Amino acid sequence: MLRATGLEKSYGDVKALQGADLMVEAGQIVSLLGRNGAGKTTMLSIIAGLLAPDSGSVSIGSTDVLADPAAAAKLLGIAPQDTGIYPILTVRQNLEFFGELAGLGASRRPRAVEVADQLGLGSLLDRKASQLSGGEGRRLHTACALVHRPRLLMLDEPTVGADVATRLQLIEAVRELADDGAAVVYTTHYLPEVEALDADIVVIDEGQVKARGTQEQLIAEHKMRGVRFTIDGTLPAHLRESLGAVEVGDSAYRALGDLDMRSLLGRFGSDAEILRSVEELRPDLETVFLAVTGHRLDSEGSDVVAVSASEASES
Amino acid sequence: MTALLAITKVQLRIIRNDPWFLVIMFGMPLVVMPLFGKTMGLSLQASGFADATGAEQVVPGQVVLFGFFVGGSVGFTVFREHGWKTWDRLRASAAPSVALLGGFGLPWVVILLLWQSALFAAGSLVLGLSLNGGSPFALLLMLLGYALCVVSLILLMTATFRTVNQLSAFQNVGAMVFGGLGGALVPLDQLPGWAQTIAPITPAYWAMQGHTDVLLRQGGVVDVLPEFGVLAGVAIVISALAVGRFRVDETKEFFA
Ligand SMILES: Nc1ncnc2c1ncn2[C@@H]1O[C@H](COP(=O)(O)OP(=O)(O)OP(=O)(O)O)[C@@H](O)[C@H]1O
Ligand SMILES: [Mg+2]
Repeated sequence: MLRATGLEKSYGDVKALQGADLMVEAGQIVSLLGRNGAGKTTMLSIIAGLLAPDSGSVSIGSTDVLADPAAAAKLLGIAPQDTGIYPILTVRQNLEFFGELAGLGASRRPRAVEVADQLGLGSLLDRKASQLSGGEGRRLHTACALVHRPRLLMLDEPTVGADVATRLQLIEAVRELADDGAAVVYTTHYLPEVEALDADIVVIDEGQVKARGTQEQLIAEHKMRGVRFTIDGTLPAHLRESLGAVEVGDSAYRALGDLDMRSLLGRFGSDAEILRSVEELRPDLETVFLAVTGHRLDSEGSDVVAVSASEASES
Repeated sequence: MTALLAITKVQLRIIRNDPWFLVIMFGMPLVVMPLFGKTMGLSLQASGFADATGAEQVVPGQVVLFGFFVGGSVGFTVFREHGWKTWDRLRASAAPSVALLGGFGLPWVVILLLWQSALFAAGSLVLGLSLNGGSPFALLLMLLGYALCVVSLILLMTATFRTVNQLSAFQNVGAMVFGGLGGALVPLDQLPGWAQTIAPITPAYWAMQGHTDVLLRQGGVVDVLPEFGVLAGVAIVISALAVGRFRVDETKEFFA
Protein backbone atom coordinates (compact mmCIF):
# COMPACT_ATOMS: atom_id res chain seq x y z
CA MET A 1 0.00 0.00 0.00
CA LEU A 2 2.72 2.47 1.02
CA ARG A 3 6.14 2.45 -0.57
CA ALA A 4 8.46 5.26 0.46
CA THR A 5 12.04 4.80 -0.64
CA GLY A 6 15.28 6.70 -0.33
CA LEU A 7 13.76 9.68 1.48
CA GLU A 8 16.20 12.49 2.14
CA LYS A 9 15.41 15.82 3.71
CA SER A 10 17.60 18.53 5.20
CA TYR A 11 16.56 21.67 7.02
CA GLY A 12 19.57 23.91 6.48
CA ASP A 13 22.42 21.77 7.76
CA VAL A 14 20.18 19.53 9.88
CA LYS A 15 19.88 16.22 8.07
CA ALA A 16 16.43 15.11 9.21
CA LEU A 17 16.20 12.11 6.87
CA GLN A 18 19.12 10.35 5.25
CA GLY A 19 17.83 7.75 2.86
CA ALA A 20 14.97 6.31 4.88
CA ASP A 21 12.54 3.70 3.51
CA LEU A 22 9.10 2.75 4.76
CA MET A 23 6.87 0.01 3.37
CA VAL A 24 3.45 -0.83 4.75
CA GLU A 25 1.09 -3.42 3.34
CA ALA A 26 -2.70 -3.19 3.36
CA GLY A 27 -3.97 -4.40 6.72
CA GLN A 28 -0.60 -3.96 8.38
CA ILE A 29 0.11 -1.71 11.36
CA VAL A 30 3.63 -0.36 11.49
CA SER A 31 4.93 1.36 14.55
CA LEU A 32 7.57 3.95 13.84
CA LEU A 33 9.87 4.13 16.84
CA GLY A 34 12.43 6.82 17.36
CA ARG A 35 13.68 9.36 19.84
CA ASN A 36 12.86 13.06 19.69
CA GLY A 37 14.32 14.45 16.52
CA ALA A 38 14.82 11.04 14.87
CA GLY A 39 12.87 12.14 11.79
CA LYS A 40 9.45 10.55 12.33
CA THR A 41 7.34 13.64 11.75
CA THR A 42 9.47 14.66 8.80
CA MET A 43 8.85 11.25 7.24
CA LEU A 44 5.10 11.36 7.76
CA SER A 45 4.92 14.92 6.42
CA ILE A 46 6.67 13.89 3.24
CA ILE A 47 4.40 10.90 2.75
CA ALA A 48 1.34 13.11 3.31
CA GLY A 49 2.58 15.52 0.66
CA LEU A 50 2.98 18.32 3.19
CA LEU A 51 6.71 18.54 2.76
CA ALA A 52 8.77 18.08 -0.38
CA PRO A 53 11.67 15.63 0.05
CA ASP A 54 15.12 16.54 -1.28
CA SER A 55 15.06 13.14 -2.95
CA GLY A 56 13.24 9.84 -2.81
CA SER A 57 9.89 8.56 -3.95
CA VAL A 58 6.55 7.86 -2.32
CA SER A 59 3.63 5.91 -3.66
CA ILE A 60 0.33 4.91 -2.09
CA GLY A 61 -1.16 1.94 -3.92
CA SER A 62 -0.40 2.77 -7.52
CA THR A 63 -0.51 6.55 -6.97
CA ASP A 64 2.69 8.55 -6.95
CA VAL A 65 2.30 11.09 -4.13
CA LEU A 66 4.74 13.58 -5.59
CA ALA A 67 3.27 13.43 -9.09
CA ASP A 68 -0.42 13.31 -8.20
CA PRO A 69 -0.92 14.69 -4.70
CA ALA A 70 -4.66 15.18 -5.16
CA ALA A 71 -5.29 11.51 -5.92
CA ALA A 72 -2.97 10.48 -3.10
CA ALA A 73 -4.78 12.76 -0.64
CA LYS A 74 -8.02 10.82 -1.17
CA LEU A 75 -6.32 7.62 -0.03
CA LEU A 76 -4.67 9.10 2.97
CA GLY A 77 -5.60 10.25 6.45
CA ILE A 78 -3.12 11.94 8.74
CA ALA A 79 -3.42 13.09 12.34
CA PRO A 80 -0.36 15.32 12.70
CA GLN A 81 1.70 15.63 15.86
CA ASP A 82 0.12 18.96 16.84
CA THR A 83 -3.56 18.74 17.73
CA GLY A 84 -5.46 20.51 14.98
CA ILE A 85 -9.20 20.89 15.49
CA TYR A 86 -11.62 23.83 15.34
CA PRO A 87 -12.20 24.84 18.97
CA ILE A 88 -15.24 26.91 18.07
CA LEU A 89 -17.02 24.04 16.31
CA THR A 90 -18.67 21.07 17.96
CA VAL A 91 -17.25 17.56 17.81
CA ARG A 92 -19.83 16.67 15.18
CA GLN A 93 -19.11 19.76 13.09
CA ASN A 94 -15.39 19.06 13.18
CA LEU A 95 -15.86 15.47 12.05
CA GLU A 96 -18.32 16.36 9.32
CA PHE A 97 -16.09 19.12 8.01
CA PHE A 98 -13.03 16.90 7.68
CA GLY A 99 -15.23 14.25 6.08
CA GLU A 100 -16.52 16.74 3.55
CA LEU A 101 -13.04 18.08 2.91
CA ALA A 102 -11.96 14.55 2.07
CA GLY A 103 -14.81 14.23 -0.41
CA LEU A 104 -17.56 12.49 1.56
CA GLY A 105 -21.11 13.37 0.59
CA ALA A 106 -24.13 12.89 2.81
CA SER A 107 -22.48 9.79 4.30
CA ARG A 108 -20.29 12.09 6.38
CA ARG A 109 -23.15 12.51 8.86
CA PRO A 110 -23.62 8.87 9.92
CA ARG A 111 -19.89 8.38 9.58
CA ALA A 112 -19.16 11.21 12.03
CA VAL A 113 -21.39 9.53 14.61
CA GLU A 114 -19.79 6.16 13.98
CA VAL A 115 -16.22 7.43 14.39
CA ALA A 116 -17.15 9.43 17.48
CA ASP A 117 -18.64 6.30 19.04
CA GLN A 118 -15.53 4.32 18.21
CA LEU A 119 -13.33 6.78 20.05
CA GLY A 120 -15.63 7.29 23.00
CA LEU A 121 -16.85 10.70 21.90
CA GLY A 122 -20.41 9.58 21.23
CA SER A 123 -21.90 11.48 24.14
CA LEU A 124 -19.91 14.61 23.34
CA LEU A 125 -21.01 15.06 19.74
CA ASP A 126 -22.64 18.41 20.32
CA ARG A 127 -20.07 19.82 22.66
CA LYS A 128 -17.71 22.52 21.43
CA ALA A 129 -14.20 21.24 20.94
CA SER A 130 -12.88 24.03 23.15
CA GLN A 131 -14.77 22.45 26.03
CA LEU A 132 -13.20 19.02 25.68
CA SER A 133 -10.52 17.75 28.04
CA GLY A 134 -7.01 17.36 26.67
CA GLY A 135 -7.42 13.65 26.06
CA GLU A 136 -10.85 14.07 24.48
CA GLY A 137 -9.46 16.75 22.18
CA ARG A 138 -6.66 14.42 21.19
CA ARG A 139 -9.19 11.69 20.38
CA LEU A 140 -11.20 14.09 18.25
CA HIS A 141 -7.99 15.05 16.48
CA THR A 142 -7.37 11.41 15.68
CA ALA A 143 -11.00 10.77 14.74
CA CYS A 144 -10.84 13.55 12.15
CA ALA A 145 -8.22 11.53 10.28
CA LEU A 146 -10.42 8.41 10.27
CA VAL A 147 -13.70 9.85 9.04
CA HIS A 148 -13.20 9.13 5.37
CA ARG A 149 -11.90 5.58 5.92
CA PRO A 150 -8.45 6.24 4.45
CA ARG A 151 -6.54 3.38 2.87
CA LEU A 152 -3.38 4.68 4.52
CA LEU A 153 -3.71 6.10 8.00
CA MET A 154 -0.84 7.94 9.65
CA LEU A 155 -1.01 8.84 13.33
CA ASP A 156 1.80 10.94 14.78
CA GLU A 157 1.90 10.21 18.52
CA PRO A 158 -1.87 9.81 18.80
CA THR A 159 -1.84 8.91 22.49
CA VAL A 160 0.05 11.89 23.85
CA GLY A 161 -1.83 12.93 26.96
CA ALA A 162 -4.21 9.99 26.78
CA ASP A 163 -5.12 7.81 29.74
CA VAL A 164 -5.17 4.01 29.69
CA ALA A 165 -8.82 3.72 28.64
CA THR A 166 -8.27 6.18 25.80
CA ARG A 167 -5.22 4.29 24.61
CA LEU A 168 -7.22 1.09 24.50
CA GLN A 169 -10.07 2.69 22.58
CA LEU A 170 -7.63 4.13 20.14
CA ILE A 171 -5.80 0.87 19.68
CA GLU A 172 -9.10 -0.89 19.08
CA ALA A 173 -10.20 1.68 16.49
CA VAL A 174 -6.87 1.42 14.71
CA ARG A 175 -7.01 -2.38 14.68
CA GLU A 176 -10.50 -2.28 13.27
CA LEU A 177 -9.36 -0.06 10.45
CA ALA A 178 -6.43 -2.35 9.74
CA ASP A 179 -8.68 -5.42 9.78
CA ASP A 180 -10.71 -3.57 7.20
CA GLY A 181 -7.64 -3.45 4.99
CA ALA A 182 -6.14 -0.07 5.78
CA ALA A 183 -2.40 0.36 6.14
CA VAL A 184 -1.49 2.15 9.36
CA VAL A 185 1.62 4.01 10.43
CA TYR A 186 1.74 4.86 14.08
CA THR A 187 4.46 6.76 15.89
CA THR A 188 4.84 6.61 19.64
CA HIS A 189 7.37 6.73 22.44
CA TYR A 190 5.35 4.34 24.50
CA LEU A 191 6.47 0.75 24.12
CA PRO A 192 3.62 -1.08 25.88
CA GLU A 193 1.35 0.46 23.30
CA VAL A 194 3.36 -1.06 20.50
CA GLU A 195 3.03 -4.43 22.17
CA ALA A 196 -0.71 -3.99 22.56
CA LEU A 197 -1.09 -3.03 18.92
CA ASP A 198 0.93 -6.08 17.97
CA ALA A 199 2.42 -3.84 15.35
CA ASP A 200 5.40 -4.44 13.16
CA ILE A 201 8.24 -2.18 14.08
CA VAL A 202 10.47 0.20 12.24
CA VAL A 203 13.21 1.76 14.32
CA ILE A 204 14.39 5.10 13.03
CA ASP A 205 17.36 7.03 14.36
CA GLU A 206 19.20 10.02 13.01
CA GLY A 207 17.12 9.98 9.87
CA GLN A 208 17.84 6.37 9.01
CA VAL A 209 15.94 3.15 9.45
CA LYS A 210 18.05 1.08 11.81
CA ALA A 211 15.89 -2.02 12.10
CA ARG A 212 12.57 -3.43 11.04
CA GLY A 213 10.57 -6.56 11.72
CA THR A 214 8.00 -8.08 14.01
CA GLN A 215 8.58 -7.77 17.73
CA GLU A 216 9.57 -11.43 18.01
CA GLN A 217 11.99 -11.13 15.13
CA LEU A 218 13.64 -8.07 16.54
CA ILE A 219 13.94 -9.46 20.04
CA ALA A 220 15.39 -12.69 18.68
CA GLU A 221 17.75 -10.82 16.40
CA HIS A 222 19.06 -8.42 19.03
CA LYS A 223 19.23 -10.75 21.99
CA MET A 224 20.43 -8.28 24.43
CA ARG A 225 20.64 -8.16 28.11
CA GLY A 226 21.55 -5.17 30.12
CA VAL A 227 21.96 -3.69 33.52
CA ARG A 228 20.87 -0.19 34.22
CA PHE A 229 22.36 1.85 37.01
CA THR A 230 20.58 4.99 37.94
CA ILE A 231 22.92 7.35 39.72
CA ASP A 232 22.96 10.71 41.40
CA GLY A 233 24.76 13.35 39.39
CA THR A 234 27.21 12.49 36.67
CA LEU A 235 29.49 9.54 36.43
CA PRO A 236 32.94 10.26 37.93
CA ALA A 237 35.72 9.99 35.38
CA HIS A 238 37.50 7.06 36.99
CA LEU A 239 34.27 5.07 37.08
CA ARG A 240 33.62 5.91 33.50
CA GLU A 241 36.97 4.39 32.72
CA SER A 242 36.64 1.27 34.84
CA LEU A 243 33.15 0.57 33.50
CA GLY A 244 34.21 1.32 29.97
CA ALA A 245 31.26 3.66 29.65
CA VAL A 246 30.90 6.17 26.85
CA GLU A 247 28.68 9.20 27.04
CA VAL A 248 25.73 8.89 24.66
CA GLY A 249 23.60 11.82 25.62
CA ASP A 250 22.94 14.25 28.41
CA SER A 251 24.64 12.32 31.19
CA ALA A 252 23.51 9.01 29.74
CA TYR A 253 26.18 6.41 29.28
CA ARG A 254 26.52 3.09 27.66
CA ALA A 255 29.05 0.35 27.95
CA LEU A 256 29.32 -2.91 26.13
CA GLY A 257 30.95 -5.96 27.58
CA ASP A 258 31.00 -7.46 31.05
CA LEU A 259 27.54 -8.16 32.36
CA ASP A 260 28.37 -9.87 35.61
CA MET A 261 26.35 -7.98 38.15
CA ARG A 262 28.67 -8.64 41.06
CA SER A 263 31.76 -7.58 39.23
CA LEU A 264 30.03 -4.47 37.91
CA LEU A 265 28.84 -3.46 41.36
CA GLY A 266 32.27 -4.12 42.74
CA ARG A 267 33.74 -1.52 40.46
CA PHE A 268 31.70 1.20 42.09
CA GLY A 269 33.63 0.52 45.30
CA SER A 270 33.47 3.47 47.63
CA ASP A 271 31.39 5.36 45.07
CA ALA A 272 28.50 2.95 45.58
CA GLU A 273 26.61 5.65 47.46
CA ILE A 274 25.83 7.43 44.22
CA LEU A 275 23.77 4.43 43.12
CA ARG A 276 20.04 4.94 43.37
CA SER A 277 18.89 1.76 41.70
CA VAL A 278 20.17 -1.20 39.77
CA GLU A 279 17.91 -2.90 37.30
CA GLU A 280 18.41 -5.91 35.13
CA LEU A 281 17.01 -5.44 31.63
CA ARG A 282 15.52 -8.49 29.99
CA PRO A 283 15.36 -8.74 26.23
CA ASP A 284 12.35 -6.70 25.17
CA LEU A 285 11.59 -3.86 22.84
CA GLU A 286 13.45 -1.45 25.04
CA THR A 287 16.67 -3.41 24.92
CA VAL A 288 16.19 -3.89 21.20
CA PHE A 289 15.97 -0.16 20.83
CA LEU A 290 19.04 0.28 22.96
CA ALA A 291 20.95 -2.28 20.96
CA VAL A 292 20.00 -0.81 17.62
CA THR A 293 20.43 2.87 18.34
CA GLY A 294 22.64 3.03 21.41
CA HIS A 295 20.03 5.17 23.13
CA ARG A 296 17.06 4.69 25.35
CA LEU A 297 13.75 5.54 23.73
CA ASP A 298 12.41 7.66 26.54
CA SER A 299 15.37 9.88 27.13
CA GLU A 300 14.06 11.44 30.33
CA GLY A 301 16.71 9.70 32.44
CA SER A 302 19.55 12.14 32.56
CA ASP A 303 21.33 10.18 35.22
CA VAL A 304 21.21 6.76 33.74
CA VAL A 305 24.06 4.47 33.09
CA ALA A 306 23.07 1.62 30.90
CA VAL A 307 25.67 -1.06 30.86
CA SER A 308 24.78 -3.66 28.41
CA ALA A 309 26.04 -6.27 26.12
CA SER A 310 24.83 -8.12 23.16
CA GLU A 311 24.89 -11.88 23.68
CA ALA A 312 24.18 -13.14 20.25
CA SER A 313 25.31 -10.57 17.77
CA GLU A 314 27.48 -7.54 18.03
CA SER A 315 25.40 -4.97 16.23
CA MET B 1 -14.15 22.55 -5.79
CA THR B 2 -15.12 20.20 -2.96
CA ALA B 3 -12.51 21.82 -0.75
CA LEU B 4 -13.57 25.34 -1.70
CA LEU B 5 -17.19 24.65 -0.79
CA ALA B 6 -16.34 22.74 2.37
CA ILE B 7 -14.08 25.53 3.62
CA THR B 8 -16.61 28.22 2.69
CA LYS B 9 -19.32 26.42 4.60
CA VAL B 10 -17.23 25.82 7.67
CA GLN B 11 -16.05 29.43 7.77
CA LEU B 12 -19.64 30.65 7.62
CA ARG B 13 -20.49 28.21 10.37
CA ILE B 14 -17.68 29.53 12.54
CA ILE B 15 -19.07 33.03 12.09
CA ARG B 16 -22.54 31.78 13.01
CA ASN B 17 -21.12 30.21 16.16
CA ASP B 18 -19.58 33.56 17.13
CA PRO B 19 -21.52 36.40 15.49
CA TRP B 20 -20.42 39.09 17.95
CA PHE B 21 -17.71 40.41 15.67
CA LEU B 22 -20.27 41.28 13.04
CA VAL B 23 -22.71 42.70 15.57
CA ILE B 24 -20.02 45.09 16.82
CA MET B 25 -18.97 45.97 13.32
CA PHE B 26 -22.59 46.77 12.52
CA GLY B 27 -23.26 48.83 15.63
CA MET B 28 -20.14 51.02 15.62
CA PRO B 29 -20.68 52.75 12.26
CA LEU B 30 -24.27 53.39 13.29
CA VAL B 31 -22.93 55.41 16.20
CA VAL B 32 -20.47 57.31 14.03
CA MET B 33 -22.88 58.18 11.20
CA PRO B 34 -25.10 60.66 13.05
CA LEU B 35 -22.03 62.42 14.49
CA PHE B 36 -20.96 63.69 11.09
CA GLY B 37 -24.32 63.86 9.33
CA LYS B 38 -24.82 67.60 9.73
CA THR B 39 -21.27 68.62 8.82
CA MET B 40 -21.34 66.43 5.74
CA GLY B 41 -24.69 67.92 4.75
CA LEU B 42 -23.17 71.41 4.79
CA SER B 43 -20.12 70.30 2.89
CA LEU B 44 -22.16 68.54 0.19
CA GLN B 45 -24.33 71.63 -0.18
CA ALA B 46 -21.17 73.69 -0.58
CA SER B 47 -20.14 71.30 -3.34
CA GLY B 48 -23.33 72.11 -5.23
CA PHE B 49 -25.75 69.37 -4.07
CA ALA B 50 -28.34 71.77 -2.71
CA ASP B 51 -30.75 69.11 -1.40
CA ALA B 52 -28.14 66.88 0.23
CA THR B 53 -28.76 65.90 3.85
CA GLY B 54 -25.28 64.58 4.58
CA ALA B 55 -26.46 60.97 4.76
CA GLU B 56 -25.38 60.59 1.11
CA GLN B 57 -21.77 61.04 2.24
CA VAL B 58 -21.68 59.67 5.73
CA VAL B 59 -23.49 56.36 5.11
CA PRO B 60 -21.43 55.19 2.13
CA GLY B 61 -18.33 56.77 3.73
CA GLN B 62 -18.61 54.71 6.91
CA VAL B 63 -19.54 51.60 4.94
CA VAL B 64 -16.41 51.99 2.82
CA LEU B 65 -14.22 52.78 5.82
CA PHE B 66 -15.44 49.99 8.09
CA GLY B 67 -15.76 47.65 5.13
CA PHE B 68 -12.01 47.51 5.06
CA PHE B 69 -11.97 46.31 8.68
CA VAL B 70 -14.71 43.77 8.10
CA GLY B 71 -13.11 42.48 4.90
CA GLY B 72 -9.75 42.42 6.69
CA SER B 73 -11.08 39.50 8.73
CA VAL B 74 -10.51 37.23 5.79
CA GLY B 75 -6.77 37.50 6.44
CA PHE B 76 -7.25 36.91 10.11
CA THR B 77 -9.17 33.70 9.41
CA VAL B 78 -6.31 32.35 7.30
CA PHE B 79 -3.74 33.14 10.00
CA ARG B 80 -6.03 31.67 12.62
CA GLU B 81 -5.85 28.28 10.90
CA HIS B 82 -2.14 28.32 11.65
CA GLY B 83 -2.89 29.10 15.29
CA TRP B 84 -5.40 26.26 15.46
CA LYS B 85 -2.92 23.97 13.66
CA THR B 86 -5.64 23.06 11.19
CA TRP B 87 -3.78 24.53 8.24
CA ASP B 88 -1.78 21.35 7.61
CA ARG B 89 -4.98 19.35 7.72
CA LEU B 90 -6.47 21.55 5.02
CA ARG B 91 -3.27 21.12 3.02
CA ALA B 92 -3.36 17.36 3.46
CA SER B 93 -6.51 17.41 1.32
CA ALA B 94 -4.20 18.52 -1.51
CA ALA B 95 -6.57 21.33 -2.41
CA PRO B 96 -4.86 23.79 -4.78
CA SER B 97 -4.11 27.36 -3.62
CA VAL B 98 -7.08 28.66 -5.59
CA ALA B 99 -9.48 26.45 -3.68
CA LEU B 100 -7.91 27.29 -0.33
CA LEU B 101 -7.89 31.05 -0.89
CA GLY B 102 -11.30 30.90 -2.55
CA GLY B 103 -12.70 28.95 0.37
CA PHE B 104 -11.61 31.66 2.77
CA GLY B 105 -12.40 34.59 0.47
CA LEU B 106 -15.86 33.65 -0.73
CA PRO B 107 -17.60 33.76 2.66
CA TRP B 108 -16.24 37.24 3.27
CA VAL B 109 -17.43 38.52 -0.10
CA VAL B 110 -20.88 37.29 0.86
CA ILE B 111 -20.66 38.73 4.38
CA LEU B 112 -19.39 42.10 3.13
CA LEU B 113 -22.24 42.28 0.66
CA LEU B 114 -24.85 41.56 3.35
CA TRP B 115 -23.16 43.78 5.92
CA GLN B 116 -22.96 46.75 3.56
CA SER B 117 -26.60 46.30 2.51
CA ALA B 118 -27.69 46.11 6.13
CA LEU B 119 -25.82 49.31 6.96
CA PHE B 120 -27.41 51.13 4.03
CA ALA B 121 -30.81 49.92 5.21
CA ALA B 122 -30.06 51.06 8.76
CA GLY B 123 -28.75 54.37 7.40
CA SER B 124 -32.02 55.00 5.66
CA LEU B 125 -33.89 54.35 8.92
CA VAL B 126 -31.60 56.33 11.19
CA LEU B 127 -30.53 59.17 8.90
CA GLY B 128 -33.31 59.18 6.36
CA LEU B 129 -31.03 58.26 3.50
CA SER B 130 -32.99 57.74 0.32
CA LEU B 131 -32.01 56.68 -3.17
CA ASN B 132 -33.52 59.87 -4.65
CA GLY B 133 -34.18 58.16 -7.94
CA GLY B 134 -30.91 56.26 -8.02
CA SER B 135 -31.07 52.58 -8.95
CA PRO B 136 -30.92 49.99 -6.13
CA PHE B 137 -29.28 47.57 -8.58
CA ALA B 138 -26.55 50.11 -9.28
CA LEU B 139 -26.02 50.39 -5.52
CA LEU B 140 -25.79 46.60 -5.16
CA LEU B 141 -23.30 46.47 -8.00
CA MET B 142 -21.08 48.96 -6.16
CA LEU B 143 -21.34 46.97 -2.92
CA LEU B 144 -20.32 43.82 -4.78
CA GLY B 145 -17.43 45.52 -6.55
CA TYR B 146 -16.08 46.92 -3.30
CA ALA B 147 -16.47 43.57 -1.49
CA LEU B 148 -14.52 41.78 -4.23
CA CYS B 149 -11.82 44.40 -4.25
CA VAL B 150 -11.29 44.53 -0.48
CA VAL B 151 -11.28 40.75 -0.04
CA SER B 152 -8.81 40.18 -2.87
CA LEU B 153 -6.53 42.95 -1.61
CA ILE B 154 -6.48 41.46 1.89
CA LEU B 155 -5.82 37.99 0.43
CA LEU B 156 -2.82 39.38 -1.43
CA MET B 157 -1.54 40.85 1.82
CA THR B 158 -2.20 37.54 3.56
CA ALA B 159 -0.11 35.80 0.92
CA THR B 160 2.64 38.35 1.50
CA PHE B 161 2.83 38.80 5.26
CA ARG B 162 4.27 36.22 7.60
CA THR B 163 2.77 37.36 10.89
CA VAL B 164 -0.72 38.35 11.89
CA ASN B 165 0.68 41.58 13.38
CA GLN B 166 1.86 42.74 9.97
CA LEU B 167 -1.55 42.02 8.56
CA SER B 168 -3.42 43.80 11.30
CA ALA B 169 -1.20 46.89 10.97
CA PHE B 170 -1.93 47.00 7.26
CA GLN B 171 -5.62 46.51 7.84
CA ASN B 172 -5.98 49.20 10.53
CA VAL B 173 -3.80 51.88 9.01
CA GLY B 174 -4.82 50.95 5.47
CA ALA B 175 -8.48 51.49 6.27
CA MET B 176 -7.80 55.07 7.42
CA VAL B 177 -5.31 55.94 4.68
CA PHE B 178 -7.20 54.38 1.78
CA GLY B 179 -10.55 55.49 3.15
CA GLY B 180 -9.37 59.05 3.79
CA LEU B 181 -7.69 59.39 0.42
CA GLY B 182 -10.64 57.88 -1.38
CA GLY B 183 -13.11 60.39 0.03
CA ALA B 184 -14.79 58.17 2.63
CA LEU B 185 -14.06 60.50 5.55
CA VAL B 186 -14.85 63.82 3.84
CA PRO B 187 -16.05 64.44 0.28
CA LEU B 188 -13.31 64.20 -2.28
CA ASP B 189 -13.47 67.80 -3.47
CA GLN B 190 -12.65 68.98 0.06
CA LEU B 191 -9.31 67.14 0.01
CA PRO B 192 -6.05 68.92 -0.86
CA GLY B 193 -5.16 68.90 -4.54
CA TRP B 194 -2.36 66.32 -4.24
CA ALA B 195 -4.73 63.95 -2.42
CA GLN B 196 -7.37 64.33 -5.12
CA THR B 197 -4.71 63.51 -7.71
CA ILE B 198 -3.66 60.21 -6.13
CA ALA B 199 -7.12 59.28 -4.80
CA PRO B 200 -7.92 56.96 -7.76
CA ILE B 201 -5.26 54.46 -6.63
CA THR B 202 -7.56 53.51 -3.75
CA PRO B 203 -10.55 51.17 -4.05
CA ALA B 204 -12.40 53.57 -1.71
CA TYR B 205 -12.25 56.30 -4.36
CA TRP B 206 -14.05 54.16 -6.96
CA ALA B 207 -16.58 52.94 -4.44
CA MET B 208 -17.35 56.49 -3.26
CA GLN B 209 -17.62 57.74 -6.85
CA GLY B 210 -20.15 55.02 -7.60
CA HIS B 211 -22.14 55.75 -4.46
CA THR B 212 -22.20 59.47 -5.30
CA ASP B 213 -23.48 58.64 -8.80
CA VAL B 214 -26.32 56.60 -7.35
CA LEU B 215 -27.27 58.71 -4.34
CA LEU B 216 -26.75 62.24 -5.64
CA ARG B 217 -26.97 61.99 -9.40
CA GLN B 218 -29.86 59.52 -9.84
CA GLY B 219 -27.36 57.05 -11.28
CA GLY B 220 -28.49 53.78 -12.88
CA VAL B 221 -26.61 50.56 -13.55
CA VAL B 222 -25.04 51.90 -16.73
CA ASP B 223 -23.76 54.98 -14.92
CA VAL B 224 -21.80 52.96 -12.36
CA LEU B 225 -20.43 50.39 -14.79
CA PRO B 226 -17.09 52.23 -15.12
CA GLU B 227 -16.58 52.28 -11.34
CA PHE B 228 -17.74 48.68 -10.99
CA GLY B 229 -15.47 47.72 -13.88
CA VAL B 230 -12.43 49.22 -12.18
CA LEU B 231 -13.20 47.55 -8.84
CA ALA B 232 -13.94 44.15 -10.37
CA GLY B 233 -11.00 44.35 -12.75
CA VAL B 234 -8.60 45.25 -9.95
CA ALA B 235 -10.08 42.45 -7.85
CA ILE B 236 -9.38 39.91 -10.61
CA VAL B 237 -5.81 41.06 -11.11
CA ILE B 238 -5.09 41.17 -7.38
CA SER B 239 -6.68 37.75 -6.78
CA ALA B 240 -4.50 36.28 -9.49
CA LEU B 241 -1.45 37.86 -7.86
CA ALA B 242 -2.53 36.51 -4.48
CA VAL B 243 -2.91 32.97 -5.82
CA GLY B 244 0.47 33.26 -7.55
CA ARG B 245 2.23 34.58 -4.47
CA PHE B 246 0.60 32.30 -1.97
CA ARG B 247 2.90 29.63 -0.53
CA VAL B 248 0.74 27.03 1.14
CA ASP B 249 3.72 25.54 2.96
CA GLU B 250 4.89 28.79 4.52
CA THR B 251 4.66 28.78 8.29
CA LYS B 252 2.60 31.76 9.38
CA GLU B 253 2.64 33.19 12.87
CA PHE B 254 -0.62 33.74 14.61
CA PHE B 255 -0.54 35.25 18.11
CA ALA B 256 2.25 33.46 19.91
N1 LIG C 1 11.03 23.21 10.28
C1 LIG C 1 12.21 22.77 10.70
N2 LIG C 1 13.31 23.54 10.59
C2 LIG C 1 14.52 23.12 11.00
N3 LIG C 1 14.74 21.91 11.53
C3 LIG C 1 13.70 21.09 11.68
C4 LIG C 1 12.38 21.48 11.27
N4 LIG C 1 11.54 20.45 11.54
C5 LIG C 1 12.29 19.48 12.08
N5 LIG C 1 13.59 19.85 12.17
C6 LIG C 1 14.71 19.01 12.66
O1 LIG C 1 14.69 17.80 11.94
C7 LIG C 1 14.96 16.70 12.77
C8 LIG C 1 13.83 15.69 12.68
O2 LIG C 1 12.66 16.26 13.23
P1 LIG C 1 11.29 15.48 13.31
O3 LIG C 1 10.26 16.47 13.70
O4 LIG C 1 11.07 14.73 12.06
O5 LIG C 1 11.57 14.48 14.50
P2 LIG C 1 10.60 13.46 15.25
O6 LIG C 1 11.18 12.10 15.09
O7 LIG C 1 9.21 13.64 14.79
O8 LIG C 1 10.75 13.93 16.76
P3 LIG C 1 9.68 14.01 17.96
O9 LIG C 1 9.64 12.68 18.61
O10 LIG C 1 10.31 15.04 18.87
O11 LIG C 1 8.39 14.46 17.40
C9 LIG C 1 15.19 17.28 14.16
O12 LIG C 1 16.58 17.41 14.34
C10 LIG C 1 14.53 18.62 14.11
O13 LIG C 1 15.19 19.53 14.96
MG1 LIG D 1 7.54 14.24 15.68
